[in-house]
Amino acid sequence: MNGEETGDVFAGGGDVGQDLLGVAWEQTPLGRPSQWPQSLRTAVSILLSSRFPMWMAWGPELTFFCNAAYRNDTLRSKYPWALGRPASEVWAEIWDAIGPRILSVLDTGRATWDEGLLLFLERSGYSEETYHTFSYSPLRDDDGALVGMLCVVSEDTVRVIGERRMATLRDLGSDPSVVRTEAQALAFAGSQLARNLHDLPFTLTYLFDSDGVRLAGSTGIHQDHPLTDPRRWPAETPAQGESVLVPLEGDRPSGDWHEPPTEALLVPLLRQGDIPYGFMVAGLNRYRALDDGYRGFVELVAGHVAAGLGSARSYAAQQHRAEELAELDRAKTAFFSNISHEFRTPLTLIMGPVEELLSRTDVGGDGVRAELDVIHRNGLRLGKLVNTLLDFSRIEAGRMQARFAPVDLAAATAELASVFRSAIERAGLTFEVDCPPLPEPVLLDRGMWEKIILNLLSNALKFTFTGGVRISVRAESGTAGVTVADTGVGVPEAEMPQLFERFHRIENARSRSNEGSGIGLALVKELVELHGGTIEAASVLGSGTAFTIRLRFGSAHLPAEAVTSEAGAAMVSGTADPYVQEALRWLPGGPEVPSTPDHNDRPAAVLVADDNADMRDYLTRLLRSAGHRVEAVPDGQAALEAARVRSPDLIVSDVMMPRLDGLQLVAALRAESRTASTPVLLLSARAGQEASIEGLEAGADDYLVKPFSSAELLARVRANVELSRLRNHHARWRTALVDSLQEAFFVCDADGAIIEMNSTFQTILGYGPEGLPYAPTHPWWPDREREPEAYQQVADAFAMLIDRTHGTYTIPVRHRDGHTLWAAAAFNQVEDPDTGRHVIVGTFRDVTAEHYAVQRDSALANVSVRLSEADSVAGALQGVLPVLTELWSATRVYAVVFDSSGSPSLVTTGPQTRWETLSDERRETLSALRGRALLTPFAEQSGGAGIALEHPDGAMVLWIELAENRPFTEQDQTLLALLAGHLGQGLHRIHQIDLQRETALALQRAILGPAQLPNGFAVRYSPATRPLKVGGDWYDTVTLTDGRIGIVVGDCVGHGLEAATVMGQLRSACRALLLQNTDPAQTLTALDRFAAQLPGAMCATVFCGVLDPATGELTYSSAGHPPAVVTHADGSTVLLDQGRSRPLGVRAPHAERPEAHYTVPVRATLLLYTDGLVERRRQPLTAGIGRVATTVQQARSAALEDLASVVMDSMAPESGYDDDVALLLYRHPGPLDVEFPAEATRLAPVRTMLRGWLARCGVDPATSQNVLVAAGEACANAIEHGHRQLPGGLIRLRAAATAHDLHLTITDSGLWKTPQPALNPHRGRGLTLMRALMSEVTVTTGTAGTIVGLQTRIPR
Amino acid sequence: MSTPLTLTPGRNPDGAVVLTAVGEIDMSNAATFANALIDTDSDADGAMFTVDLTGVEYIDSAGLAALFPHVERLRLVSNPLLAPVLSIAGLDDITTLGTEPGRA
Repeated sequence: MNGEETGDVFAGGGDVGQDLLGVAWEQTPLGRPSQWPQSLRTAVSILLSSRFPMWMAWGPELTFFCNAAYRNDTLRSKYPWALGRPASEVWAEIWDAIGPRILSVLDTGRATWDEGLLLFLERSGYSEETYHTFSYSPLRDDDGALVGMLCVVSEDTVRVIGERRMATLRDLGSDPSVVRTEAQALAFAGSQLARNLHDLPFTLTYLFDSDGVRLAGSTGIHQDHPLTDPRRWPAETPAQGESVLVPLEGDRPSGDWHEPPTEALLVPLLRQGDIPYGFMVAGLNRYRALDDGYRGFVELVAGHVAAGLGSARSYAAQQHRAEELAELDRAKTAFFSNISHEFRTPLTLIMGPVEELLSRTDVGGDGVRAELDVIHRNGLRLGKLVNTLLDFSRIEAGRMQARFAPVDLAAATAELASVFRSAIERAGLTFEVDCPPLPEPVLLDRGMWEKIILNLLSNALKFTFTGGVRISVRAESGTAGVTVADTGVGVPEAEMPQLFERFHRIENARSRSNEGSGIGLALVKELVELHGGTIEAASVLGSGTAFTIRLRFGSAHLPAEAVTSEAGAAMVSGTADPYVQEALRWLPGGPEVPSTPDHNDRPAAVLVADDNADMRDYLTRLLRSAGHRVEAVPDGQAALEAARVRSPDLIVSDVMMPRLDGLQLVAALRAESRTASTPVLLLSARAGQEASIEGLEAGADDYLVKPFSSAELLARVRANVELSRLRNHHARWRTALVDSLQEAFFVCDADGAIIEMNSTFQTILGYGPEGLPYAPTHPWWPDREREPEAYQQVADAFAMLIDRTHGTYTIPVRHRDGHTLWAAAAFNQVEDPDTGRHVIVGTFRDVTAEHYAVQRDSALANVSVRLSEADSVAGALQGVLPVLTELWSATRVYAVVFDSSGSPSLVTTGPQTRWETLSDERRETLSALRGRALLTPFAEQSGGAGIALEHPDGAMVLWIELAENRPFTEQDQTLLALLAGHLGQGLHRIHQIDLQRETALALQRAILGPAQLPNGFAVRYSPATRPLKVGGDWYDTVTLTDGRIGIVVGDCVGHGLEAATVMGQLRSACRALLLQNTDPAQTLTALDRFAAQLPGAMCATVFCGVLDPATGELTYSSAGHPPAVVTHADGSTVLLDQGRSRPLGVRAPHAERPEAHYTVPVRATLLLYTDGLVERRRQPLTAGIGRVATTVQQARSAALEDLASVVMDSMAPESGYDDDVALLLYRHPGPLDVEFPAEATRLAPVRTMLRGWLARCGVDPATSQNVLVAAGEACANAIEHGHRQLPGGLIRLRAAATAHDLHLTITDSGLWKTPQPALNPHRGRGLTLMRALMSEVTVTTGTAGTIVGLQTRIPR
Repeated sequence: MSTPLTLTPGRNPDGAVVLTAVGEIDMSNAATFANALIDTDSDADGAMFTVDLTGVEYIDSAGLAALFPHVERLRLVSNPLLAPVLSIAGLDDITTLGTEPGRA
């Protein structure tokens, strides 16, 4: 066999092909595949290539082939053993079933078809229940002979078993009957389970009961079978809700199989939230493995059985309850029936004499008559109740005797309605009676009809508070319809089904009275049904209710013996009276009972709460007669509100009341500290210990059962009042104290809810105790949207109140009437001695007036401060506007001055803008304000407020722009007017001061010294007295006619304005004398004479010198002045202390003042100063001179201006100079400063000047040459670059020397281009030269030109 | 007023061409100096020639720029004052410090 011969047969067979290749074919009848006929090869390759499960048999032994799909679905563990074996061997276990089919195919050549055939395969290690749908078709050899067969098969096991189980579950779940008992439920389940003995060969259902485990049902097994014994099973496992598998042995039923189960599964019958009902034993099909599907099936079966048990048990429980209720109802009716009869006799004996008494005229006194009225009314009411109950018992017993007579239904109904009209209209309701005649009379029992209509009308009135009641009669399709409709409170949808049930009352419905037995509508329904009619109710909660009665015309529907042809009396009988009387008592406005109080030494304030007006009146009368002050209210809510406000001594309350019943009232009273101690006496019709315990538990102080005697009530009232007075003495004292406080007082709980307050609280805020408790956010908080800051303030204060143990705060609050006020509060946390909880006790007072006063004062003070700080009108506005912004939390504040320039000038907070860039709208608002009266505020509804005021330059308008919706109150407007007035005055004052100061400054500048200093000088001046810019010291430089420079530094006695005036005169005189004399000594001598004429000039000290700037030669003379200091370039210091003499005006023995000479060396610094610079307390003057000399020495390399600053700064005492200081510095020689036209020919002369200056500075020739070349290059660049496009421009050369350095700057007004060596090669070299020759070169190019800075060190 | 400068062409005792400058050379007269150098160069006719700057008090980059085109055939005689500038310009290798006025 080679690959070529065999490979193509099994090619495409995948793994199976590979395994077929491995079969020892030569040992089979088929021989080697290479010798196989073409037909076999074709069949094999079709088989292998198909994805449908197939197998085939070929040849005399029916040798077995199969493909991959068959291997996976069916053959399983028999693969690859089966390949090449005889088919009868491969499928030995089912050969009985399939062998004949295969032989039939080979015999007849016709294909077979089997669907869902059950075959027990041994492919998974056990005999397995399987189902297959397959077809055998014949295979022929090359000669056409039948030699084999091909089987195409699909396995149906999962589908068949799944459907079987599903059917069982479906049947279990679809109980067609309403299962009633547990036994029935189990029997039904059993009948269903018995239909599936394949999956459940047998089942046993056990229930746990009080005696243990009981067999309750079984399928597939006889009841007496040993396996049914409960002890046989481990019941404890399912009792815990777990399943357990139990092996089976011995005799056992096999269900629908040949062999019995080998295992049983015990599953619990689970019960929600409780131990299982029991458990089920399910014998398992031994031909299926207990996989998830099988286990799940058994558990679902158990679940169905458990559910059936559960519903059966709950049904039984319900039925039991219903039977008990029905029995109770019967007993009640019987009881009422009996007792009602017993009532009638005494009632008759009461009513008869009462009516008799009322009809008599000799029964005197309104009081007695009123009492009789009460007796009569309530007798009627009791009679009505008794009659209704009797009617019921008659109906119940079937003894109701109706007499149906033909009646004009419309007329009778309208007549009945008319008796209710006054009651309905007194209630403020409309009453519409719409009863047109009907075509024929209706058979009615007139008495019953009255009860029907009166009950419905009474009901309508009771539950209707606005709108009205409507009654209408209509004939419609053979019936007469009567509708009573109201616009009352309506009936909740959930209550509708019980509406006509006896004793059913709708809880919490708002009504005019809480009285009522709940039998009215039930009776109506019974009576209508006695007429063979129907009644329906339609209601919408909150909108109203309509009852519609339908009665048939004719007599066919009524028992013939009850029908009479006599028309009944067409009068409303006495039945109506009790209904109307009762209804009238619900309405307010009954006559007040006049009080005739007895004498009582300890009268109490008693609050009576009862919804029954008669009872209310009776109690009122009774208590007043005992001397008490009585207030009566109709329900618990009204009682609570009254109690909060008036704190009665005692509350007498009924238990059953609308809105808030007696027990709820007690609970509410006890919950509030203000009312917690008010004693309550509850009255109730409910007798019995339980009811009274309930009342006392709720916190009532006493409990009285109706009926009670008046004496008992009065005694209890007295006792309770006395007791509570004793008990509450302390509390009342406290309340009185709190109420007498001038400050508002409040108590709030830990959550911040106000639970107690005094009367001042209400006075200040307008919220009284009737609204207690006030939970946060309290109603007096400012509006969060409109006043966010105020709201935040209150919220912060509130947080503090809750968190801190004590504190104070001041907050804005809103009175109930809407106005804002300010309250200053103080609070403390305390422990409630009763409850141990923390409460917060606080007081506050109205500080609105103070607040606004403080606000006004602080705003004024703020504005004043800003005004006083300002040194100009504009600065004042800049300072004040932020104050206004802050005061009103403004988004922006504008100040516009309409001056004579025509264009208003604007100052504003926030980003700076100009008038022209404001919006048209804004400009219009501001311009309009200008036309308004001055200092009259104008506030817009929202957005801001403005005012016009006077400005030194014209009219000014202020505008406060506010955040949206922020109110600008009247107080704000007042404040704005005040501030604007203040601001206007302030601006004028500043304007005046401005003018004065400008004058003064101009004068001072004139006094002080020369505006222009000669080259090489630097000066500093610091007056001791601010804001003066001058003092008693001075400095001066005078350029003399010969080019020399006079230098003067002087110091008059004292400082301040007086000294300054002396100084000014001395300075001028000295200057004039120096110009004339050009000699320091002579000048001072002449100045002596001048000083003698000038008060205050005596003893002034002066240093006067004449300097030749070219040579540094200095001639000087000192009139008692501290010596000048000269600091040489090398750091050595010389004091110019020659030529000294006495201060000015001090007569000298020698008339002539001395004179000294000194030559200032090159690059030395000359320092002249007044003693303010160096004089310090407790230090000799020489110490200060030494310090200043050191300072100059150390900073001698600095430029002269910098040196001046350094000296002033470093000599200044910590608190600043306290004396006038004048300082004059000169460095020799003065700097060179030349300006020349940008022309090449000017270079040589400039160079000559520079060369000369450098020589004067004592610079060596080599350095000098370097400087000349570098400066020359800079100048050449300036000519070439800076002014190429701009001929005739100027170049400025400045040169200055310090002790060690030379600084030069060459400035032009042009633009240097970046050097471009390619275009102008030697210019680039120019810069290179500068850099090489100088120690520092800077080139600064700006829009105004280029500045070249050169610096080099001077060798020593 | 133009910058003072006297330019005197001449020859050394050895016959070499010499241009003697006295005064100051800046951008105002650099062109004159440059022209004189060109003339001198052509007089030298390809031979080395000397520029005597011993009498020059000042020369700036414009003056130096006039020297550069001739640097191949040029010797400079200078004074100490000009030495730093000539050195920075890289001309010190062709410069000798002239001490004998007679050779100028």
